[in-house]
Amino acid sequence: MSEPLLEAKRLHPATLLVRWLRIVPQMLAAGVGLAAAGRSSQIGGFLLFAAIAAALGAVFAFLYWWRFLYTVGPGEIVIEKGLINRQRRVIPFDRVQDIAIERKLLARLLGTAKVRIETGGAAKDEGDLDSIAIADAEALRDHIRRGARAAAAESEGEAPAEPVEEPVLFAMSLGRLLYAGLFGFSLIFLAAISAVVQQVDQLGLIEWDSWFTPERADAAAHLVSLQLALGLAALILLLGMVAGVVRTVLRDFGFRLTRSEAGLRRRRGLFTLSEVVIPIRRTQVALIEGGLISRALGWHRLSFQTLGADKKEGGVQVAAPFARMEEILPILAEAGFPEPPPREAFRSAPKRALFRRIALQVAIGVALTGGAFLFDWRAGIGAAVMALLALAAALRWRTHGHADDERALYVTGGLLKRRLRILPYEKTQTISVTKGPIQRAMRLATVTVDTAGASAMNNVHMADLDEREAEAEADRLYCAYFRARDVLRGQSIL
Amino acid sequence: MQPDEIQDESRCEAADPADGAEAWTPLDPAHVNVLRVRAAILAGAAVLIALPFDIGPLRETAIPVFAVPGVVLTLALLLAIVYPARRYRAWGYKEGEDELQIKRGNLIRVRTIVPFGRVQHIDVAQGPLQRSFGLATLTLHTAGTQGASVSLPGLRHADAEGLRDRIRAKIRQDLV
Repeated sequence: MSEPLLEAKRLHPATLLVRWLRIVPQMLAAGVGLAAAGRSSQIGGFLLFAAIAAALGAVFAFLYWWRFLYTVGPGEIVIEKGLINRQRRVIPFDRVQDIAIERKLLARLLGTAKVRIETGGAAKDEGDLDSIAIADAEALRDHIRRGARAAAAESEGEAPAEPVEEPVLFAMSLGRLLYAGLFGFSLIFLAAISAVVQQVDQLGLIEWDSWFTPERADAAAHLVSLQLALGLAALILLLGMVAGVVRTVLRDFGFRLTRSEAGLRRRRGLFTLSEVVIPIRRTQVALIEGGLISRALGWHRLSFQTLGADKKEGGVQVAAPFARMEEILPILAEAGFPEPPPREAFRSAPKRALFRRIALQVAIGVALTGGAFLFDWRAGIGAAVMALLALAAALRWRTHGHADDERALYVTGGLLKRRLRILPYEKTQTISVTKGPIQRAMRLATVTVDTAGASAMNNVHMADLDEREAEAEADRLYCAYFRARDVLRGQSIL
Repeated sequence: MQPDEIQDESRCEAADPADGAEAWTPLDPAHVNVLRVRAAILAGAAVLIALPFDIGPLRETAIPVFAVPGVVLTLALLLAIVYPARRYRAWGYKEGEDELQIKRGNLIRVRTIVPFGRVQHIDVAQGPLQRSFGLATLTLHTAGTQGASVSLPGLRHADAEGLRDRIRAKIRQDLV
């Protein structure tokens, strides 16, 4: 592939079929809406409409395919598309952050793949090739990788070696996958059912009111027994577990994490096969988490918060969904993260921080309890909720702790699920010390370290430290950032 | 990396809290006036919202005419006169060798350290009100998320630009 491939190429012809299959149902759905509005519900009219939709869909699919051209040059890829508004996009290889190859079920049957070229810019579909032959996709990916590397090193002539077998860092057997699925208990199917019911309700096909008459409700009440309720609960539980297993298998089937030159390469999926490379340079924080039961059995999940990665997952990429600690440590080391210190090394927030956390809930709870006695017993429900919230807050205080060594800051937290975050000092963006009114009264403060790709729910912070300790910790983190950065710089110069 | 050895020490001493407690630079005093005018505008808006109620629904009750807008106006004016000075005092900044520290917030107090090496770009912005007082807001943007942009309002326009230029020069130095 030394000579530039400068001929403009079209997408794989199978794209026609895929796009057609995507367009026509949309048009039909819109048509059904129109028909419902116009009250013309003859079968003949609908068939005619369907035929028109199919024909139009074919035309649109063809126009898209015909007007979509991409040219792979030695250092850049050019994508031209659009019928009336022609758009020409040039993506230099050294700007490419990530190349994802995604294969849905149909694509796998047709031997094609969707290639997504990400540059870290804001646009959603920056460089999507949907879709090209799988062999082309793989060749393109390797070509871009080589191109990006060559541009970075500015060293030519060095013939890139044939892709060697990448070392496997983590893989999941089918047995492990099914086992992991048991912990993925999910009631998502309940949401799905209620969504369907809502849709049906909106279409107005079923008149619920005529179903639920008082007589029927009475009759139903006689049928409802304790056994039935328990049976139903068991059924829901069972379905939740099945849903968890199915979801896990669909997502993580054939999970393989390998060490590629650009970073950690993750492949997974049953019907939709996805491949993502997590560039090591762009990892910010390592996150090890475990649920109440899975943690007790020694299973954890490792993910990395990355910069500019897929926003769908909140910038967090899973590296090992269900693994033993001794499997996680080598992956951490490979990604350049230090090993977390032993439990004893973690310090928790001072005792009075517990009062800070539950103060509000307890105050409201006491007021509501008073209200329950004086005015309305229903205020007691609110008091009970407050008691639960206070309990949750106390649990959070118990699990919250931090430790540090010469390389990183380690923070634990969580309610039932425990999370351990590893933040190497050089990944720091800004450091803040925050004191709310109650915190000030109790001489407490929270230290937050902002990192690239963090979110409000998912950040590194140490809540309710002693005020003086918090200020000192912020300054220590700042110095540690400089030292770590200078060490790294020294290494890259040498 | 040898020349950095000495600099390294100074970096960390600059952030030492023991001697840094009184070293905060306050904002320009004119910033209080900006805050006052802003609060006064808000007060006017609140009274404007209260007035129709006074003409309409409140006439049905025993509440005397002008009572509600009067109370709103008094509260708002009090806030406009008293509170801005407190808010102004809560602000402060420290320009270090390699970092900018900003403290802000009256109710919730926040101190933020922004290393210059993390600054992606810098804005100096001037609203219409700020312009009439000759003030500007300096904003440092980092690649972070929550503290991604750190703003420092109420600087003299020339000071803001000077600070921006110094930070820019340091970032450039950092890149070399």
